Amino acid sequence: MDLEKQHYFIRKLHSMSGVLPIGLFLMEHLIVNSFSMRGPEAYNNAVAVLQSIPFLPVVELLLIAIPIIFHGLYGLWIVYLAKNNVLSYTYYRNWLFYLQRVTAIITLIFVAYHSYTLRIANALFGLEISFNTMTAVLSNPWMMVFYIVGLLASVYHFANGLATFLITWGVTVGPFSQRVAVIVSGLLFISLSYIGIQALFAFI
Amino acid sequence: MAEQKVIVVGGGLAGLMATLRIVEKGYKVDLFSLVPVKRSHSLCAQGGINAALDTKGEGDSTWQHFYDTIYGGDFLADQTPVKGMCDNAPGIIYLYDRMGVVFSRTPEGLLDLRLFGGVKKRRTAFAGGTTGQQLLYGLDSQVRKFEALGLVTKYEGWEFLSAVIDEQGICRGIIAQDLSSMEIHSFPADAVVLATGGAGMIYGRSTNSIICTGAAAGRVYQQGVEFANGEFVQFHPTGMLGDDKTRLMSEASRGEGGRVWTYKDGKPWYFLEEWYPAYGNLVPRDIASRAIYKVCVEMGLGIDGKNQVYLDLTHKDPEFLTNRLGGILEIYQQFTGEDPRKVPMKIFPAPHYFMGGIYVDWNHMTGIPGLFAAGECDYMYHGANRLGANSLLSASYSGYVVGPKIIEYIKGLDKSAADIPQHIFEQEKQRQIEIDEAVYKMDGNEDPFLLHEELGDNMMTNVGVVRYNKNLELADAKIQELMERYKNIKLSDTGRWANQTVMFVKQLWHMLELARVIALGALNRNESRGAHYKPDFPERNDEEWLKTTRARWTPDGPKFSYSDVDVSLIEPVKRRYDVAGGGK
Amino acid sequence: MPEYIHLKIKRQDGPKEPSRWEEFKIPYKPNMNVVSVLMELRKNPTNAHGQKTTPVVWDCTCLEEVCGACTMLINGKARQACSALIDQLEQPIKLAPLTKFPVIRDLQVDRQVMFEHLKKVKAWVNIDGAFDLGRGPRLSEHDRKVAYQLSRCMTCGCCMEACPNVNSKSDFMGAAPLAQVRLFNIHPLGKMDKNQRLDAIMTKGGITDCGNSQNCVMACPKNVPLTTSIADLNRQTTLYSFARFFNR
Repeated sequence: MDLEKQHYFIRKLHSMSGVLPIGLFLMEHLIVNSFSMRGPEAYNNAVAVLQSIPFLPVVELLLIAIPIIFHGLYGLWIVYLAKNNVLSYTYYRNWLFYLQRVTAIITLIFVAYHSYTLRIANALFGLEISFNTMTAVLSNPWMMVFYIVGLLASVYHFANGLATFLITWGVTVGPFSQRVAVIVSGLLFISLSYIGIQALFAFI
Repeated sequence: MAEQKVIVVGGGLAGLMATLRIVEKGYKVDLFSLVPVKRSHSLCAQGGINAALDTKGEGDSTWQHFYDTIYGGDFLADQTPVKGMCDNAPGIIYLYDRMGVVFSRTPEGLLDLRLFGGVKKRRTAFAGGTTGQQLLYGLDSQVRKFEALGLVTKYEGWEFLSAVIDEQGICRGIIAQDLSSMEIHSFPADAVVLATGGAGMIYGRSTNSIICTGAAAGRVYQQGVEFANGEFVQFHPTGMLGDDKTRLMSEASRGEGGRVWTYKDGKPWYFLEEWYPAYGNLVPRDIASRAIYKVCVEMGLGIDGKNQVYLDLTHKDPEFLTNRLGGILEIYQQFTGEDPRKVPMKIFPAPHYFMGGIYVDWNHMTGIPGLFAAGECDYMYHGANRLGANSLLSASYSGYVVGPKIIEYIKGLDKSAADIPQHIFEQEKQRQIEIDEAVYKMDGNEDPFLLHEELGDNMMTNVGVVRYNKNLELADAKIQELMERYKNIKLSDTGRWANQTVMFVKQLWHMLELARVIALGALNRNESRGAHYKPDFPERNDEEWLKTTRARWTPDGPKFSYSDVDVSLIEPVKRRYDVAGGGK
Repeated sequence: MPEYIHLKIKRQDGPKEPSRWEEFKIPYKPNMNVVSVLMELRKNPTNAHGQKTTPVVWDCTCLEEVCGACTMLINGKARQACSALIDQLEQPIKLAPLTKFPVIRDLQVDRQVMFEHLKKVKAWVNIDGAFDLGRGPRLSEHDRKVAYQLSRCMTCGCCMEACPNVNSKSDFMGAAPLAQVRLFNIHPLGKMDKNQRLDAIMTKGGITDCGNSQNCVMACPKNVPLTTSIADLNRQTTLYSFARFFNR
């Protein structure tokens, strides 16, 4: 495949994959996690429901793993291509742009660690995923901080990415609609962060 | 015969239009420009371009346009080519429109027109307040298309040094210098057209861009081309004086209702409206400049005791102003910090346009076969005074006609530039290299930039809006003194890479040469006509001076001859703007 | 009122030469701008330490902020020197060449790449010829307004300079040529080649390489609606790409 020729398609795919399925999965994941706030039983039930999805490994591979790997690795290349200049051009959108790249790196590290220590360990070594497992992980305060940072980074990356997604696909064209999108994405960031952090604290 | 090629020097409207008209017939063009062509001085034209489109139901006609142009130019322009220009004007505007030039529109989506100086009918098509920019960008985009096709080769960042003239006296190419590497090369061509613009820099600070030195015209003048009507320099009535240049406030601001006034006896005095009731603030530029000069210099009534009067738009709706004059109001605000929608602007006349220029025949060919000139650097279309918004037209039109005329010329050649012996090019190139080396060796104690300042001050003081013979004599003596001191220049930069000082020193010489043509031409012409005004000879004198001035270079200074003006279509009448019907 | 104007100018003798900072002090006059200061400087090129030096080389043409030539970094920001009024600048005033283009000498840079981009995106109307074919197409006042905003781009390079995605690692063409695609896609005749222009920007270095930092629109001295244009072209290319695929 001639990558040069497919450049437009790859970039668009990268943009799309961040929202569908990755963004959608992120929201689903955060909502399921928030069952922790209802106690161990509710959480374990929710996990059990997920784990009972037919053809789960295939679904996970096609809808989660591959999109994340593609989005993450190609995204690294995009991060590398930028030469940030927030100190010379201190406009807020330039900061959003910069943070999008910073959170990209953090999110990538976090997701790699998070999925390796939980999902992949589960597949390889039969690690049980349950309320107690999470409690064990998060009772380490450093781990808790790491998880909060990872959470905030992923949520920011998603929320801000959603606003730029709307530009990239030509939905928000004028400055007004783009500003509205930034406000909405800000609200989304706040609410998803709130849900996520509440869920994390519920484990300990 | 080898493939024929044309060289165009200058990438403004005239040069780009000529290029287009040549390449679309399949001939190749080498296009030389000091700057990327998209930064040429045509950009700075603001108000509009004239054409009798008659979209306002006023019964305008190309004949009326022609009449106004001849009358406004005080009958000094050859009438046949001017008529050609006015007849072709609508077609040229439509051409620009098709290129995508963003002209302002009527509610029906037709081209909107506004009023300009010296006319009674709305005839000026415009693109906000940046018409020249928009026209230039239109042509630039078209030329780029042919560049992509390989028919145009651009040499941007090159300076024209001289024409290569063979033993038969025919132009066979040019010598040019790369402004970065400073290398000097020869370029053969079957025809060369100079579209190198005006020479405002001779006046130091003018409304012109700093590249408008007239050096190219000065160079071919010293190679034997005649320079015509040099004494006719237009002062634009509404300039805003700055340290580095005099910025222009477009005539469109008067066309859209701007009023010129100053205080007299503590009350606003609209002197143009009082003196010229028929045309009011929309008298032609020479008239308005003289009036402002009179009010400030002779009557001492300038605002705050300085040489400045008000140009007032504050009575107009700000939204309307932004729509119609956007671009130019921004410039004023940016450089003065005052909003012209709220505060009247302060203005004073400034050197703006050279009606005179390289002498050409009606095919735009100079006295040297194969060497053509078009645009502001030729002398043909404006006589003794140019009407506002006719310059974009004459630049476009002269490029429009010179293209086909060049093709006609090169088709008639019996040998092509490729057949010319190499030594002809080598010889001229060597001559230019020697001039260059001589500049590098200059090690006296004069600063070229200060000499230029003195030249500008001298021209402003002595060869300005109002002229006296004793001052003109002083001016010429001063120029000759500067020419002497020139030889004693100290070069502050002897580098061999992108040396702007060396280029400037060379240009300065040509400015001095042309300055003499202007000053002596003015001294000789003992009458008042258009922009050339002598209080000691206040009347136009058709008997003696209905003549084109033609200066030929000699080592002892310009030699002048005079030739008849073509008045075959309109009988010259007295030019007046104070009564209705003056301009018919 | 200060007695002098204090300048720090980044100088470089040629494309491959090392750069250095040189300081200058110019007697203060009111209402000066960066160009008039540089002009003053060349009359007697002496640096702040009293040493003779060469005149500073820089580009300028119109001095009215329409040609775009005198764009440089002034106190770290890309803008035109002619409209940078000294009285509004913090001193010492730091002048440096644009960083996204090759330096020719001192403050002079080579922006040829911008014109190459215009070539690449076919920023022209394909007219039949430069002769009179009668009236051009009508254009509504609304379209005229949009087009005029876009056609005032003076190819100065501020948008490229401010864009984090324009740099030596990336091929991104920046906002300016994209806005021209939008301009020519509005024109009634230009529209006829709309898809060719979209094809030209749907490549490496084209529209998808924008990262929405939106610095361009803030840096543009002519207020060209660059980000709106990019978003509009995003819509045009999205629709076109679907049509292109599904019509095949």
